[in-house]
Amino acid sequence: MTSRRHFLAGLAAASLAPVPGWSAVGTPDFLSAALFPDGSYRLVGLNADGSILFSLPLPDRGHAAAAHPIHAQAVAFARRPGTFALVIECSTGTEIARLSTPEGHHFYGHGVYSRNGALLFTTENDYEAGEGMIGVWDAANGYVRLGSFSSGGIGPHDMVLMPDGASLAIANGGIETHPDTGRSKLNLPTMQPNLTYCDLNGQVLEQVQLPAALHKNSIRHLSLRQDGLVAFAMQWQGNKTQHPPLLGLHLRGSEPKLRSAPDDAQTTLQGYAGSVGFSSDGQTVAITCPRGNALHRFDATSGAFTGAFALQDVCGLSSGPTGLIYTTGNGDVGRLATNGAETRTTAPCQWDNHLVPVNAAV
Amino acid sequence: MRTTVFATALLIPLTAFAQDRGPILLDVTETHVLPRFAELSEATQALVNTAQSDCVPSSTALRKDYSTAFDAWISASHLRFGPSETDDRAFALAFWPDTKGFTPKTLSKLITSEDASVQDPDAFAEQSIAGRGFFALERLLYDPSFEEQGSAEYRCSLIQAIAADIDRNADAINVDWQSYAPKLTQPGEDSPYRDGDEAMQELYKALLTGLQFTADTRLGRPMGTFDKPRPNRAEARRSERSQRHVELSLIALRDLAARLSFDHPEIAADLDAAFSKSIDRVQSLEDPAFADVATPQGRFRLEALQQSINDIRQIAVTELGPTLGINAGFNSLDGD
Repeated sequence: MTSRRHFLAGLAAASLAPVPGWSAVGTPDFLSAALFPDGSYRLVGLNADGSILFSLPLPDRGHAAAAHPIHAQAVAFARRPGTFALVIECSTGTEIARLSTPEGHHFYGHGVYSRNGALLFTTENDYEAGEGMIGVWDAANGYVRLGSFSSGGIGPHDMVLMPDGASLAIANGGIETHPDTGRSKLNLPTMQPNLTYCDLNGQVLEQVQLPAALHKNSIRHLSLRQDGLVAFAMQWQGNKTQHPPLLGLHLRGSEPKLRSAPDDAQTTLQGYAGSVGFSSDGQTVAITCPRGNALHRFDATSGAFTGAFALQDVCGLSSGPTGLIYTTGNGDVGRLATNGAETRTTAPCQWDNHLVPVNAAV
Repeated sequence: MRTTVFATALLIPLTAFAQDRGPILLDVTETHVLPRFAELSEATQALVNTAQSDCVPSSTALRKDYSTAFDAWISASHLRFGPSETDDRAFALAFWPDTKGFTPKTLSKLITSEDASVQDPDAFAEQSIAGRGFFALERLLYDPSFEEQGSAEYRCSLIQAIAADIDRNADAINVDWQSYAPKLTQPGEDSPYRDGDEAMQELYKALLTGLQFTADTRLGRPMGTFDKPRPNRAEARRSERSQRHVELSLIALRDLAARLSFDHPEIAADLDAAFSKSIDRVQSLEDPAFADVATPQGRFRLEALQQSINDIRQIAVTELGPTLGINAGFNSLDGD
């Protein structure tokens, strides 16, 4: 794994290299993949008001992205089961590195940088073994692969760096797939999703599982509040006549709390949440539900359901400068504030699943 | 009289937008769904009866009834919603693919410990689904590595217990379908489907996922990659049923597709022609367990078959889907 020598070398390179920071590209609030009317898939830097600062071509449909904490660099992941990811220098639009998974692995479409940007972590499938892995890349040295460790489960999807900067939270969705059989789910009856916390060397610190009756509730996406409260969004793979909670909240060392809307709203979601996000003040948490064409809002402290908002094909969600910002497959970019959902712009593109915040440090 | 006519004329446009799905829903339910589960339930009863009197794995009678019951399941296995999903019944009937070898492990554990649950159907129903259903029974009837494990007497009880459990699940699905049928044919208040479109979409999804499973999993798993074909991953290869399952599933899906496209004769004709090609291809194979996938010619034939099934999917998605009010959302269909 990462040696101290590598790590220090990375730090040195990061501070010395004349690499443009996010301000060089107008400091976008978010990154998102999108499909444009000419059929091209692009990675877009956008602001909370919906304005597009840049858009860079991708070779295929994207999923999520990872934003470098300092430099204007973004990793665009191919949609599952892609085997490559592009590191793009956003100020020039050039590809500065191409990550290829080792033989027998593919990406799941999410990744996260270490706090100083020296390391990149990616969720991967070791598909012959059917085991989830986290790939580790030396972001400061040409994105050389340093190694990998177990994700602590099957089907790791989203991942966040915890506020301590020294640990990761990983959503192991529990679903086994194999590239030979496309996106077919191979283990639904035995699936066992979990939320795994580990240090940056893969040492497991804590694992959270749902009650047995909810073993088919795939934990897929994460959002983090600065105090370490993790919100997780789920996708139900069980009987469609059941409508289990699709939002969970967890603080290390305590039991997870599952949150649901009242029946009449919950039953319209088709058991599917696409993204989860906290508001900028941390008081509100929400999930987007593209199959139910709804955004559900909750009080992050009490867990109380505080409203459903009808939004066609809504999926991308992230905290904005204020409130929560969402994107839809129809091109809408909007803000959810206390008084409701307000679409600000309709962009000439279809926003893909995720809205990734750029937390520009400089 | 004149007033009545006028009033009716005003009402028609309001309802004309929503197509009347009633006749197709009723047809699919009564002539496609219910008979399949009734047949399955009968075939599994015959299997239990035979197993009770003759539990020798190599018995011709036992293997014949096993085969008939498994045929009936494959012909209904695309109907994965409602009663088949309650209590994981479909998985308990057929746990495959078994990527981590849970079935042989579970069976060996039962045999080694002479687990007493084989004497009690309720207790056996609580065992892991990997140790139950048609694939567990296949191991005991056709896998030489189980011929010598434990005592013949216990293996006999285990065969009988698995057969009885299969029958119990098949009966439960069949019984539940009697009360589920009206929910599918009369959507609304007391139904999981709010309207006819949603009920149609459930059936359309069954068609699509059935095609996908046959193309991607039944064929895709043994095909592996060109450099690394995986004949040992073929479905039910020990009983040499792999090719048969593809054929049976296509025949069942063709029937469903024809009924779903009844109101659109051109689409129905396109689908039927595509199914015809696929079914001809699978019937012309002489590769019951897909062992030939390891040879270039054998692989080529499966690839062509897989492609022909993907052609059917394409027609279903581009022609049939839009007639059923399918919401083609960029994100809602992504499933990630």
